[in-house]
Amino acid sequence: MNEAPKTLELRGVTKRFPGVMALDGVSFAAAKGEVVGLIGENGAGKSTVLKILSGIYQPDSGEVIVNGQPLRIASAREAFDHGVAMVFQEQSIIHNLTVAENMFLGREAEFLRFGLIDKRRMNAATEPFLRRVRLDVHPARRCADLTFAQRQMVEIAKALTLDDRMSGRVTILLDEPTSVLESAEVRLLFEIVEELKQRAAVVFISHRLEEVVSISDRIYVMRDGKVVKEVSAANATIPDLQAQMVGRQLHHEYYREARQAAPTAQVVMQARALSKQGAFADVSFALRAGEVLGVAGVVGSGREKLAQCLAGHLKPDSGELIVQGDTRRVWGAYEAVAEGVGLVPSERKVEGVVTAFSVAENMTLSALPQFERRGVLDFARERAVAQQWVDKLRIKTPTVRTLVSGLSGGNQQKVVLAKWRVAGVKVLILDHPTRGIDVGAKEDVYELVRDMTGEGLAIVLLGDTLDEVVGLSSRILVMRDGGVVAEVDAAAGAKPSQLDIVRHMA
Amino acid sequence: MNDLASIVRAFLPLIVLAALIGVVAAWDATFLSAANLLNVAADTMTLFLMASGVTIVIIIGGIDLSVQAVASMASCIVAAYLPKWGAAAVPFALFASGFAGWLGGAASTRLRIPSFIATLAVSGVVTSAGYWFSSTRALNISDALSSRYLFWAVGTTLGVPREVWVGLVALAALSFALDLTSFGRRVRAIGSQERAAIAAGLHVDRAKIAAFTLSGLMAGLAGVVMSARLGSGSPVLANEFLLPAVACIIVGGTSITGGVGSIWRTFVGALILQVVRIGMTYMGVTVFAQQIVFGFILVAAVAVTMDRRKVLIVK
Amino acid sequence: MSTVSLEKRSAAAPGLARIVRHGRDWAPLAVLVALCLVISAFNGNFLTIANLMRLLNTAAIPLVLALGSTFVILMGSIDLSVEGVVALTAVLASLLVANNISPLAIGLWAAPAAILAGGLLGFVNGWLHVRLKIPSFMTTLGVGFAGVGIATAILRGFTARIADPSFRFLSLGRVFGVPMAVWIAAVALGAALVFQQRTRSGRWIYAIGADESTARNAGIPVERTRILVFTVAGLFYGLAGVLSVAQFGQGHALISQGRLFTAVTAVVVGGTALSGGVGSVLNTVVGVLIVVTLANGMVLMGVEPYVQQGVQGLLIIAAVALSLDRSRLDVVK
Repeated sequence: MNEAPKTLELRGVTKRFPGVMALDGVSFAAAKGEVVGLIGENGAGKSTVLKILSGIYQPDSGEVIVNGQPLRIASAREAFDHGVAMVFQEQSIIHNLTVAENMFLGREAEFLRFGLIDKRRMNAATEPFLRRVRLDVHPARRCADLTFAQRQMVEIAKALTLDDRMSGRVTILLDEPTSVLESAEVRLLFEIVEELKQRAAVVFISHRLEEVVSISDRIYVMRDGKVVKEVSAANATIPDLQAQMVGRQLHHEYYREARQAAPTAQVVMQARALSKQGAFADVSFALRAGEVLGVAGVVGSGREKLAQCLAGHLKPDSGELIVQGDTRRVWGAYEAVAEGVGLVPSERKVEGVVTAFSVAENMTLSALPQFERRGVLDFARERAVAQQWVDKLRIKTPTVRTLVSGLSGGNQQKVVLAKWRVAGVKVLILDHPTRGIDVGAKEDVYELVRDMTGEGLAIVLLGDTLDEVVGLSSRILVMRDGGVVAEVDAAAGAKPSQLDIVRHMA
Repeated sequence: MNDLASIVRAFLPLIVLAALIGVVAAWDATFLSAANLLNVAADTMTLFLMASGVTIVIIIGGIDLSVQAVASMASCIVAAYLPKWGAAAVPFALFASGFAGWLGGAASTRLRIPSFIATLAVSGVVTSAGYWFSSTRALNISDALSSRYLFWAVGTTLGVPREVWVGLVALAALSFALDLTSFGRRVRAIGSQERAAIAAGLHVDRAKIAAFTLSGLMAGLAGVVMSARLGSGSPVLANEFLLPAVACIIVGGTSITGGVGSIWRTFVGALILQVVRIGMTYMGVTVFAQQIVFGFILVAAVAVTMDRRKVLIVK
Repeated sequence: MSTVSLEKRSAAAPGLARIVRHGRDWAPLAVLVALCLVISAFNGNFLTIANLMRLLNTAAIPLVLALGSTFVILMGSIDLSVEGVVALTAVLASLLVANNISPLAIGLWAAPAAILAGGLLGFVNGWLHVRLKIPSFMTTLGVGFAGVGIATAILRGFTARIADPSFRFLSLGRVFGVPMAVWIAAVALGAALVFQQRTRSGRWIYAIGADESTARNAGIPVERTRILVFTVAGLFYGLAGVLSVAQFGQGHALISQGRLFTAVTAVVVGGTALSGGVGSVLNTVVGVLIVVTLANGMVLMGVEPYVQQGVQGLLIIAAVALSLDRSRLDVVK
């Protein structure tokens, strides 16, 4: 164990959201001279930790201690000024500004001369940091002209500018730094990280376990908001880490496994070599009526973009999609719905329901022509049909005229599902359908999934957790880095273990 | 108690209008005579007609800055072509106006241009068209032609000025479309939460283009009525109408952020503006200074009615 | 198990992509050159010194206006108050120098006074927009109309005719054969360039326009900068008001009618993106020259003057449609 003073420490940090415990007493620490790896599957809590460090959330209890001092972080800038630099996957580089300007964004005051920025001095100040990250570009180059990888180095160099001021008291957090890098660039990044750790503490967050094991000195494994294991990299093996990451028992009743029936032979949707540059490549599958096709994958796997593509929101560069026998010619949500494909989006309040509309108005939104009579909307029929579905799905709402903004998350989701039932879709894409809803409502959703497949619908499921994907699906596509790397059967009574799936994902 | 507060808020424009009429009547009791009130309403109709279509555009989440140019162009077409084409002139003017609206809608949807730029650009094209139609002059409409083809917009029927009838018919028709048809439902869904409307499979572009076309059409109707009342058409006839048109929509309670609103609100808002104008004239405020007041009313009304939750980053 | 290789970088052939991207940057200049060639083919008088000088003179006021608008648009906002601010500052200036209505005659001091007045109006724009969180097109629309209204109210429909020759020199005078208006516009351009390239606020404008949350995270004072930019824009509009009065010898509320359109067209056609974060005052110079050259050319080719607004309208649509980075667009309002 490192004897150097800790630059960053979390002690018993807890963060609760309605219905879910995002962080439960999380503690970890990093010190100069070491690289600390942080791993965990989706929903384990890694991004919540980063949001707390950026001041977006405040912990409900516990402390964040920076360089020995407890700190209540209000903004990313404040964290930075205290020595905590974060390099995210979504770059925070302003493309039309130069390398030097991005490096010192917000801190130009030290280069002012008679109120104007002394560009020569700023460029000169940039150069040593560029050298440290082996970036051979002129500080006056516009960032728009650099490659993604080069821009990432600029971000890391930006983190290093703390070094002069706060030598030995800097923590650099790298969030999924390699997911879009080529292998030669990854090697370069590793060399730079080795040098970085001489002067700062580095926290390496990634789902690529081989990389984490090879670069880190110590590794923390997170699961369900807790740190479940701390191990030195020398003693870590990948199967062991994977086992720590999943751990939860599959509850067969929770996912209504008894109601899972074998799919029919009728193919309702067929994908052939769907590709979209930067997202996914060569995806093919056949979806049958009555089937739940789960798609498992971590950040960067491409599954979210694939879901959007299937739902018509994203046009692929090549490949074909055949829905109910007809090849899709025009790509748009409107056309997809007309074909019979509906989307239950992950951002329910933004894309799923119209919050200012009533329950009835939401339920009929995708099937308005059905409720027209001689050009005028038939409000009575709308209310009657809505009431039928409220009863059938047991939606808790005072009336069908109530605005959906007044409903709980779970009931809102049921309204979304009802909408697609009213519209008579044959294929439903569920994108994180149980995100942010309480346990009881989740079970209702699982019942509804079984109801729907029982009636012949086909479902593509992007589950919130691996557990959910395995429990609900009849078949699972595993995606990694944009490609389908495995197809695993998940028939009722013969479910694969989560480890079987995770093996393919890392 | 909560219900009372929200009812008051919903009908605030009507309450304000009643209060303003009361204030002006206190100054001059003759203001309250039926004849006078009907005249006030008649004078307001042009503004209302122009703003009625824009109301729908604002509800769907856009803005139409071309309406005054379109109204002027329509007046030019009427004045120029009544002598030559007779009864066909007015339909042609309406068609051209609808087409202008369509252009703005198509530019903002198909070409992905923000609607205020698209309609600003269209207003330039339309102004040029207006000049072309009128051969760069202000044209007179002879009394004979007016009484033959524009009788429906001037004079009275059953004691009520015909402009008011036209306005009421427009109010009824547009309210019908907005409240009772699936088009209206789509407009509200798109204006309220466009991403959800898209995900639900609504054809957003089509609805927007329809809204802008309607807006152009109503602006054209306003221009035709104006030309009937003033007996002339010119490329700048409706200048100074854009701000009051937008103002009366907002003052009536339709939110600039979209999704909520009604045509009757614009009707009441137009009356409010007119009564305020009359009141200011009584108090000796010059016509010119009234513009300032309207400018501030507009900003204040927007500040009050805006739904701030919808706008994360205000640009 | 197949290994998939994705092209996650932005360009397969970096050289080609770079040329294409910079090609878009050079497009406005190419358009300007092409325009000049076409017009001079039609009418030999175009490329004479006298005509070019006339061109630059006509471009002076629009350039000053467009410079102010450029900063606002770079931030991702829009400023529709141009005409109102110019009207009010022009009227103020005309009443402050020797004129036929007011007894004041402070000579050239009227210029800085008017410019400051413009800045004040710009400040009001920015303040309303930022503090009340009202979209900029709404606040500037209101302030613009209010400006025209105040200007009209002050003059009560009359026109102020100025009688101060030294003031008129600001526009009509010639130094080394070049009209003063052009010199002043050039100085304004220089100031704008320095503001854009060398001041912190100038650089922050790009950050705010490109990605406001990143700007905020970096500690940039977004609200203060927004208000500052609108104020600076107002200063430029005030200068344009001064030049207008000097040029026409009079001040009245409609002195700037139609200028908003020209200013927006110039900025957009020059290549500055309406979404913010992309562009420069140099782009705007090219844009102004395109608009003015087109107008000049249309006159030389015998086209009716009223057609110009229509052509400008089509130009805006074409320029915005062509320059938009469609893949980034989400919901267009």
